[in-house]
Amino acid sequence: MRTPPGVSPSDYAKALTEFQNIVGKEWVFTSDEDLDLYRDAFSPLMNEPEEKIASGAIAPTTTEQVQEIVRIANRYKIPLYTISTGKNLGYGGSAPVYSGSVVLDLKRMNQIIEVNEANAYCVVEPGVSYFDLYHYIQEKKLKVWIDCPDPGWGSVVGNAMDRGGGYTQANYRNHFDSHCGMEVVLPNGEVMRTGMGAIPNAETWQQYKSGVGPWIDGIFSQSNYGIVTKMGFWLMPEPEAYLRGHISCMNFEDLGPMVETLNYLENARITAGFPDLGSPLLGYGPIGQVQLFFESGTHMALPPEHMKLLATVKDGRSPELEAYGKQNDIPYWQFWLSFHGPMEVIEAQWQAAVRHFAKIKGSRAKIVDKTHLPINPADAEKFHEPELGIPSLRAFSIGARSPFNPTPSKGHMWFSPIIPRTGEAIIKANKIFSAAARELDMPLFRTFTLPACFWERSFIFILATPVTTDPATNKKYREGFKKLIAIGGEQGWGEYRTAPLFQESVMNVYSFNNHVLHRFHETLKDAIDPNGILSAGRYNIWPKNLRGKRG
Amino acid sequence: MNYRDLSTVVRGALMAWCALVTLPVHADGDEHAVGKAVYQKWCAPCHAPGITHPGTHALSVKYAGIKSDVILEWTDLQPFYVEYMVRHGMSVMPHFRKTEISDAELKDLAAYLSRNTPKS
Repeated sequence: MRTPPGVSPSDYAKALTEFQNIVGKEWVFTSDEDLDLYRDAFSPLMNEPEEKIASGAIAPTTTEQVQEIVRIANRYKIPLYTISTGKNLGYGGSAPVYSGSVVLDLKRMNQIIEVNEANAYCVVEPGVSYFDLYHYIQEKKLKVWIDCPDPGWGSVVGNAMDRGGGYTQANYRNHFDSHCGMEVVLPNGEVMRTGMGAIPNAETWQQYKSGVGPWIDGIFSQSNYGIVTKMGFWLMPEPEAYLRGHISCMNFEDLGPMVETLNYLENARITAGFPDLGSPLLGYGPIGQVQLFFESGTHMALPPEHMKLLATVKDGRSPELEAYGKQNDIPYWQFWLSFHGPMEVIEAQWQAAVRHFAKIKGSRAKIVDKTHLPINPADAEKFHEPELGIPSLRAFSIGARSPFNPTPSKGHMWFSPIIPRTGEAIIKANKIFSAAARELDMPLFRTFTLPACFWERSFIFILATPVTTDPATNKKYREGFKKLIAIGGEQGWGEYRTAPLFQESVMNVYSFNNHVLHRFHETLKDAIDPNGILSAGRYNIWPKNLRGKRG
Repeated sequence: MNYRDLSTVVRGALMAWCALVTLPVHADGDEHAVGKAVYQKWCAPCHAPGITHPGTHALSVKYAGIKSDVILEWTDLQPFYVEYMVRHGMSVMPHFRKTEISDAELKDLAAYLSRNTPKS
């Protein structure tokens, strides 16, 4: 039997017995076979001695059980590591950051406590997936939408706590921002409710976010200060109609003005749907259509002459390719805009957007989709489903075997720095990271990469790094990944989220004033969790007893 | 042999998911009611027919000209193989924990998916 580091076998045995008394013997896992199921399926340390593993796993069903487990863990100094659905693939999956921790698996806490149609919110437990919530809403014919990331099996709570994003309207795409109220089990076992939930018999827990006094919800995300057992989210009322179109421009130099125009339109909420940037000329499709490329291989279907000219591109620019684009009517840049709402409103919003882009000489606009909602479920496949609030697993076509990807990967890790919302930054990020990727021999670029627009006001530059079955290759990519983080940091760019293996490197980039932010995080840790039992090491927040001692 | 090494010698892939929050008990007259529900909840999102399901698309390449890319149509699936794939995964298909698919549910799933396999 495995034993958590720093815990005697006899103490661990006693703790396990007490855990079993709380959740039942069936839901305390200690065998190697069962604990292997808590390995990170996409681990970049796969099968290496440093791979992060669990010493045990416990699966409660209620907040009260979580409280009891935390109290027991305090008594025996058992390091716990909390997961929700454990499907945070690419960001650590179900494995602990501090190897040897006991995983607190909240998958069985899967109650949808409330979906309120009248004021468009829900309250869910951590084991509820986007699929669960979506189907609950569909079965009850409620007129609200969820906002989900690409993989629909993720936890609504867990994704928000990891600060993930989605694809519908701007005020719902940021999953942490769209939450309203949480219930948290603190490291001492007490249960706390935030916002208006701190009022006994609160009637507005999901209707006003901050309550009174310091608004502390943020400290529980990407951290290890508590275990969230319930969380509220604002939902989008089902829109009446959907419109999606694109704006195309033919010149390389149009990128900057296009981004400026997009920023104005989005910041003024003239467009609020997910903006998706592509370059037909550079063979770079918008994110919402990546799955189509892997399914149909259309990105492989460029004519030979076009393919040949792609080799002349440097940092996104090629006068020869630009001339080819003009001759063959292939836009250099294409920005997709989407709108949700009453048809007459979104048609007017589209027209206003087109008018603003018309300031760029030669820009052209085209409506691609215009439909009343809800759509026929049979037609959902024609869309990037998450943009219509429909969860799926279709994005796994990226990496999976297909005619266009004969060698499937074993997973991936996302390199995803936040960069400024300018055309200049897009070119600069391509220049810097493509040069680094070449030097580090990492397969991150085809020709050019455009950022995503999950968040308002900033771009996120996303590069998928494959995980392979070859440890030497994985080692090369891991080391390269850390160098990319540092290179981004030198430009003033930092990741929004990262896998456990890179959390220290990423946090090191946030080093203003001698790392005062990180020191503050650990000051909080010492005050809130003096025994260091909760999710040690998550986002490089280590308890005092492990600081500087971990491997 | 490490269990992950085994994945290089076994074939196919099984993935997971769908809608049902709770799984039904055996319904009268349908011995595979639970297995079907587990399939719908955990497998169909990747393995239902059509290339918009990544598992099916992957199998269409792997078994091109050999057999169907839809695992529900396979006639050579053994229960132990289903159980192995669910607990070990393959390629970008992860393994599934017992809090997701319990041992009892996995047996029902394996029985359902191997229902067309001739008993030796």
